[in-house]
Amino acid sequence: MNETTPLPPTWPVAVSGLLLICLGGCVTSRVEDARENVTGLNEGDAVVIMAKSYHQGNETESKYVTCIEDALGRGSAGLRVIPRQQFVDSLFPWFEPRTAPAETKGLSKLMSRPGVAQIVEDLGVRYIVWLDGDTETVAQGGSLSCAAGPTGGGCFGFAWWQKDADYEASVWDLEGYESAGTVTADFSGTSFLPALVVPIPLIARTQAAACKGLAQQLKAFIIQ
Amino acid sequence: MIAKIRATLPVCLLVLSLAGCSANVTMEEPTIPPPRVAKIPVQVALRIPKEFENFIHEENVLGREAWTINLGRANATFFTQLFGYMFDGLTVIGPDDDARNFAFDALIEPSIDGFEFSVPNQSKTEAFAVWVRYRLRIFDREGNNAANWTVSAYGKSRKQGLRGSDSLRRAAVLAMRDAAALIILQMEKATGVSKLAGGALAEPSIEPAKMAAEPDVKPARDEAELDFGVFAIGGIDDE
Repeated sequence: MNETTPLPPTWPVAVSGLLLICLGGCVTSRVEDARENVTGLNEGDAVVIMAKSYHQGNETESKYVTCIEDALGRGSAGLRVIPRQQFVDSLFPWFEPRTAPAETKGLSKLMSRPGVAQIVEDLGVRYIVWLDGDTETVAQGGSLSCAAGPTGGGCFGFAWWQKDADYEASVWDLEGYESAGTVTADFSGTSFLPALVVPIPLIARTQAAACKGLAQQLKAFIIQ
Repeated sequence: MIAKIRATLPVCLLVLSLAGCSANVTMEEPTIPPPRVAKIPVQVALRIPKEFENFIHEENVLGREAWTINLGRANATFFTQLFGYMFDGLTVIGPDDDARNFAFDALIEPSIDGFEFSVPNQSKTEAFAVWVRYRLRIFDREGNNAANWTVSAYGKSRKQGLRGSDSLRRAAVLAMRDAAALIILQMEKATGVSKLAGGALAEPSIEPAKMAAEPDVKPARDEAELDFGVFAIGGIDDE
């Protein structure tokens, strides 16, 4: 009589875990910086993270800006980050999408306006970081269909999509009214959604990875 | 019990699908921060038109969705707050009030020339956008038409959530802030309103009691000469 050796009951979990690690984490990245001037922070110095104006075609997501703010301020070596809405409201109407300076050469004139330099000093803002770029789906494919009826429902098929997160952070130094340099982050991730009755999402967190990567590099760039 | 759930499920799905074909967005009262600019030394009367008391914009998008944006009193609050920050003195008068009963250097009557928006389905982007075009008619204390200025403002907000109502509301608020920024920085250049502090432009050419309340009044000067818009991006050069 032949006896079959039963597989250990943990194998489906192990295979699923491996699949999740292999497929769910497929994000490639490149982070670079280009320095133009020396940076550094004195005690009490703060940074503001802003999105470039949508009047100039920029699409940076609000939640990405918030993510960078949080990431820069987190931890024991966290920077002092002034919330952008507080900064914009304090200096209304000089940092509205239509009126914000597009280049550093407009900074000295802006600072000479009544009350502007004083508010910047009161807030302790040393650097303004302008974010440009967005996350978008660049490719997708596969087929997935779902059906539901009185007796139940389910899905069958396979879908995938690729997202690219390309961001550039321009750092302006308000001490010398000059550009300190730029940090760029290019991340690409592919997500999969196989379904056999139940869909199993294997999501590549491209934007979150781009936030973490850019914030780390930005912090190192500013602190030097 | 299960049979009962099965029977009600299609009805629930139908209700949900019908509810997904229209959206109502109600604006909250906007708040404009105090601007970092010097006040214009003019006593201004602001006439709030009737349409500002309950402005509702309805639009069908590509025959698929019906959107209703209820701005309510948002425009009335917006201009009251804005002009309160901008001018030395502000008196708010109603649409039926006789302007002769009030003391002022300049009477400003704002109105909405156009209100438009786009949703992601239309623009093929992830953003909601709102365009609003205000018209500011300015009269001197004698009822002469001193300026007729159109202000085109734009707000844009990326879609968040399933319906996007919050994003559209945010885009509308940004459009109003955009208008505020433009009015604050360009008002004097575009209308020369401060000159009215010195007195009336000329002898009244129209009945003061009717001024501003009737849109078809004949202006004291050539309308085409005075009617213009200003648009600038990336820092405003005020010189």
